[in-house]
Amino acid sequence: MRIFDLAYILALGAGLGLGSAHWAVAGRPVIGKVEVGAWTAWPASGSRAIDPYMRAYLARGVHLPLGSGEGLELIAERDDNGRALDGRCRYHLGGATPTTRGWTIGITDGDGLPFRLQLERSTFTDSEVVRPEDGGLSIIASATPEAGNWLPLPASGRFQVRLRLYDTPISSQTGETRAANLPRIERIDCR
Amino acid sequence: MSAVGHDMAEPPQAAPSPTIGWRTRLRSGLARFLMTTLAGLILAAIVHIVTILAIPTLSQRDAVHAYRELGGGSRAELLPAPGNARGLPTPREVDPNVVTAVCSYDLSAGPMRVVARTGTLPLGLTLHRQGGGIVYAITDRAAIRGVLDFLVMTEAQRDERIAEDEEGETSRELRVVSDTEQGLIVVRVLVRLPSDRADAEALATSVECGMAN
Repeated sequence: MRIFDLAYILALGAGLGLGSAHWAVAGRPVIGKVEVGAWTAWPASGSRAIDPYMRAYLARGVHLPLGSGEGLELIAERDDNGRALDGRCRYHLGGATPTTRGWTIGITDGDGLPFRLQLERSTFTDSEVVRPEDGGLSIIASATPEAGNWLPLPASGRFQVRLRLYDTPISSQTGETRAANLPRIERIDCR
Repeated sequence: MSAVGHDMAEPPQAAPSPTIGWRTRLRSGLARFLMTTLAGLILAAIVHIVTILAIPTLSQRDAVHAYRELGGGSRAELLPAPGNARGLPTPREVDPNVVTAVCSYDLSAGPMRVVARTGTLPLGLTLHRQGGGIVYAITDRAAIRGVLDFLVMTEAQRDERIAEDEEGETSRELRVVSDTEQGLIVVRVLVRLPSDRADAEALATSVECGMAN
């Protein structure tokens, strides 16, 4: 009976402990996540104040995160109304970009890799994008071609929008950034 | 008759005792199950914490291990393209508009000196320690007369250097302490336009990283 108890304790401890540890760092950990509007960021991942979960997540793969002070990566998986981004819909990316020396905005899959589409245009940099008269940002993301700044989407399925800001002052105070200072992601229509 | 009466009288006394025994046994069994479950959960929490803290030191798949051979000379080397002959992996979640070059360092032989000349494209330098985490980040905006120059060393090497400094004179060199002996110096140059790529690659690979002494 005592051996059975011990075996039960060990099985529960090892199974639950290892399982929960694997689950906690299989993806980007919830701890340290900062949400601003539709965007999420992990600003502590690029500093000495990194939390153990993020450190374990980074150590489990070939990751080279941006250093805080070097830049900031913002990831959006949902539009401004909280609906998951879907390749069957058209989206308008517009509004302001924070003060930065350079930025890039791109479409990736859930693992951060660009989709293999016929047209190799997965990102825009701040120099490449064509701006309207007011100098703002206006990009259309859709599976079918659009006039102006067009980012092709996969025909269907989930995708992510990644905004990378280089040499930006907001990397150290991401939590205090207002959503109005970041690009908006608005769904236009769906097929 | 007396025997029957005795038998009849016996059950009312004996009947409650098995039920009490059964109940107490159930209760003690349940208590024991809860205690062992609690012990198991506490052990699970300990295993969870130890695993999370051990992953960075035990992992062999992190960027520092993957790119250990790169930039061992005196200059940063560009990250290999996917499907390269050396079988090196490509980093995950990278920006396709950025040219990345790395220099691996090993401080066991002494401090490293990193010298980067700035160009027109934004350049960032980061120090990644083994097992995840960035020790130091600097951009070309901090350059003095177009040059970024700093030393990477361990805590002990810094103390040694401070002891060697001339009395009363302030040292002008920038000293960065790395808490692990092995690590990576990552050079990132933003490619603003596709035509800038050659310039960006030249700028990234012009970063020098050699022994300080």
